[in-house]
Amino acid sequence: MTGGFSSAMESLERAGGNPGQYCRPFLDVFPVTGASVATVGALLGSETIAASDHLAARLDELQFDLGEGPCWDALVTGAAVLEPDLRDHQRRSWPAFRTAIAQDDVRAIFAFPLAVGPLRMGAVDLYSAQPVRLDRTQTRQADAMAAIVGRHVLRSALATVDRESEPSSTAYSRRLVHQATGMVLAQLGITPDDALLVIEGRAFAESRSVMDVARDILSGLLDFAPTDEGIGDAG
Amino acid sequence: MNDITRESRLLETFVTLADTLVDDYDVVDLLQLLVDTCKELLDVSEAAILLADTAGVLDVIASTSESSRLVELVQLSAEAGPCVESFRTGRPVSVPDVRDVPAEWSTFRDSAVRAGFGSVHAVPLRLRDTIIGSLNLLRRGSSGLAPEDAAASKAFADIATIGILHERSMRETTILAEQLQIALNSRIVVEQAKGVVAYTRGVSIDEAFELIRAYARSHRVGISQVAARLVDRSLDLPD
Repeated sequence: MTGGFSSAMESLERAGGNPGQYCRPFLDVFPVTGASVATVGALLGSETIAASDHLAARLDELQFDLGEGPCWDALVTGAAVLEPDLRDHQRRSWPAFRTAIAQDDVRAIFAFPLAVGPLRMGAVDLYSAQPVRLDRTQTRQADAMAAIVGRHVLRSALATVDRESEPSSTAYSRRLVHQATGMVLAQLGITPDDALLVIEGRAFAESRSVMDVARDILSGLLDFAPTDEGIGDAG
Repeated sequence: MNDITRESRLLETFVTLADTLVDDYDVVDLLQLLVDTCKELLDVSEAAILLADTAGVLDVIASTSESSRLVELVQLSAEAGPCVESFRTGRPVSVPDVRDVPAEWSTFRDSAVRAGFGSVHAVPLRLRDTIIGSLNLLRRGSSGLAPEDAAASKAFADIATIGILHERSMRETTILAEQLQIALNSRIVVEQAKGVVAYTRGVSIDEAFELIRAYARSHRVGISQVAARLVDRSLDLPD
């Protein structure tokens, strides 16, 4: 399956801003029936971006309406959510969601966070008509694939931002943004591209200019480094 | 510094610079050496080199101080001031007294006065018909640059141009654009590396640059190379 995984990673990288291509690679690699990509939460709002079938889309819609489900848990915890058998009565999470899907052909459900650094914006949901377990390798692979989708989703959202509110960037301000990018990549241990995306995403989330956020980072007012209180709480 | 000492120091510097150009060199190092030499050997307080990107926007690529006071001032001069004037006309622009400039340069003038600079001299970086940037010399006092300093600054600007462009790649304009982009990109990585060091070492951005330079010097590697390794996190500056 390693070959399947690396070609799935490549397909996702190539998918860029085309949501139509986000689900297929997950179905190629994992023993699941359907996949969907949804944004939830404050950053980008609740929206299904891609779904491989109607049931996958319905599972997302239900979670938006009910405000609970694996997708929300993935958003809140920033970690994979694994439910290999929904009829395992030991589990008590998501009572309303479980009741709502009792008649649907869904036995297992999984969610992997869409995130770039500390910015979390949704989840990739996978479901299976049969009970199924994903082992640790599969879980790690799905996380890595969801991370690629997360970058695409954030980039696409930022591309639609009305840049008129942004003060025109000068060479000097770009220099400060590069310096802030360096601080953020060191804080989070990520690439310069991702670090810039984190800065732009934060600016977007707070309706501020990228330059403003960069200044806060350089002055130490905003620090993305993980702390005991949580991630990126400052600012 | 008396005239003889100064002349021999200048000569020495040109020999060093010429030597540098023969080997594989780091363009950020070379430009840094140039501005530092201007400050040391000419009667100027600060010096900065700006390069134009593909859109013709001038960006600071080397300066004797990383302080925002200097960098911001030079950028203002690149928007409306002697810097962009020398770039557009291809001729040196001498401003013996910054209080005495055209009205459209007033933002630059006010900022220069606030920062305590009295005069500015901007020399274009040009090779034949192509102008790629500008060397800017700032002085505290308000009087023009001495003729011998103006002549030397022209030579420094030429060396910077050759250093950036590599004479032999000059035949094609696409390559010219690429060479410029490489120089500008290496500056972006240096800015990012300053951020990395400022954070990991808990120092100011200016101090971070000094630490990077000191490491590059003591390990005999280029500033750009050290910066790239800091940014991909394969290098941590030792305490």
